[in-house]
Amino acid sequence: MNNLIRTEWLKIRKYKAFWWIIGLTALSYPGISYIFHNIYDSFTNRTGQAAQLIKSLIGNPFTFPEVWHTLAFSSSLFVFIPSVVVIMFITNEYTFKTNRQNIIDGWSRNEFMASKFIDVLLVSLLVTLLYIIICIVTGFTTEGGSGEIWGMAYYAGLFSLQTFSQLSIAFLVGFLLRKAFMALGIFIFYFIVLEPILVGLAKWKANDIGEFLPLEISDRLIPMPAFMGRIDKEAYEKALASINIHILYTVILTSLIWWICFRVNNRRDM
Amino acid sequence: MSSVLSIQNITKYYGSVRALNNVSFDIPEGSVFGILGPNGSGKTTLLSIILDVLKANNGTFSWFGHPGSPEQRKKIGSLLETPNFYHYLSASDNLKITQAISGRGVTSDIDKVLMKVNLYERRKSSFKTFSLGMKQRLAVGAALLGEPQVLVLDEPTNGLDPVGIAEIRQLIIELRDQGHTIIMASHLLDEVEKVCTHVAILKTGNLLTTGDVEEVLVDEDVVEAGAADLDALSSVLQQISKNVSIDTASKTVHAVLPKGTAKLDEINSFCFQKGVVLNHLLLKKKRLEARFFELTNN
Repeated sequence: MNNLIRTEWLKIRKYKAFWWIIGLTALSYPGISYIFHNIYDSFTNRTGQAAQLIKSLIGNPFTFPEVWHTLAFSSSLFVFIPSVVVIMFITNEYTFKTNRQNIIDGWSRNEFMASKFIDVLLVSLLVTLLYIIICIVTGFTTEGGSGEIWGMAYYAGLFSLQTFSQLSIAFLVGFLLRKAFMALGIFIFYFIVLEPILVGLAKWKANDIGEFLPLEISDRLIPMPAFMGRIDKEAYEKALASINIHILYTVILTSLIWWICFRVNNRRDM
Repeated sequence: MSSVLSIQNITKYYGSVRALNNVSFDIPEGSVFGILGPNGSGKTTLLSIILDVLKANNGTFSWFGHPGSPEQRKKIGSLLETPNFYHYLSASDNLKITQAISGRGVTSDIDKVLMKVNLYERRKSSFKTFSLGMKQRLAVGAALLGEPQVLVLDEPTNGLDPVGIAEIRQLIIELRDQGHTIIMASHLLDEVEKVCTHVAILKTGNLLTTGDVEEVLVDEDVVEAGAADLDALSSVLQQISKNVSIDTASKTVHAVLPKGTAKLDEINSFCFQKGVVLNHLLLKKKRLEARFFELTNN
């Protein structure tokens, strides 16, 4: 295990593209939070009756403990940024044929795949750590709230699971296609365009069967923030109630993804 | 002599194409074993199977008497097909990864092998800035890391200039003299002839022959003789060989005899008794190139 982590660290520590994308993620997540916060302020800081009505209706989603939920939701929309790193981790190995060399040098095929599992896990944890820092900073710098700082901190766990699951899907696409641009194009198109359309269509026409689509399974770990839920309270309550079952679905899907990766890697020629 | 590698009935298909057909042979310890064959004969496929990069459809192999495993591969320095390194890392950092995975050698050995393959001055340059020859030398350096007892080298002189080829050849000879076992695939016959002690020849996935280089090269004795009267010499030699020819360019007569039967002193004496005085007499070995074409064109 230590050898796998050390070797992966040797691979990434001087990989500029990795640090650029991590830097971009580190900038974009607080940026997203800042934009959402600004939009909220621009509506609620007005002095008119309408502004006060909105404020009393939606409360402040950036105070503790609701900030955990709000920022988990907004940050989860941007998982495609770290997915670039994850896809490059695996497609680089095929481009440079170093996947073969790692085996020739003495790793088992399982060790090679375990090293990639560790990579995806570490990126997920890094992104989660970033999210936690932003939540704490945002929560402490926003006045109001109930004072229950850790009241909804369980969203950090849900965010972490969701990120790992969705990055695992990105990894699978990279692993199967082996070509970086093709994998990135397909994953990002599916993430941003195709699946949201399919989920929308399924809600409208197919009894919401879209909840079982690969990304949507874990998307439902983090429902829309409470202030948005006030628009359709019934739907919001339903979304909250389905979190637990979606934890199970996400764990099953993510396990299946890695089972496929290990199995295919053990069987196919390199 | 015990076997370092034993290959038993290896067969490999790519779809409907049979790349290797029931190939079996043993590689003795301390040998420089050349695997020869034209392009597409299955050399790299065979090496890829013994290094677990490809899966055989049938057959088995064992290293040091044990089935192939990651632990066995860690003891083997290998260069397979092309140099495979992380393009964004330096020569030195790439070898740190080789060292971390294989466990061969220690960090200070990295500088030693870089010196050995003349890359020490460029150790901090990234791999993507290297010429083909430098990449190849780095791959040889990676294989040498930790001085493994067994080396698998697939076309080790690929992309090298004549000086580089001579250096690698010299390195292989030094390693052979130190008792290392070297398994080398090549289509450069001259290279194999100069360094190998044993050879296996493949053609379209079939093993044509294998054994000691001397045994494989020499399947008949060719006596080259010269005299003032070549016609008279030819007539005399026809009494001991059915296959006699005059080479007008070198002004010699060639007589082919069954392997191991040519006794030069007896031939000299026989010719003298028949009134032909020899001014040249030589037992010629067939060159590997000639033998290779003979085998692979059949």
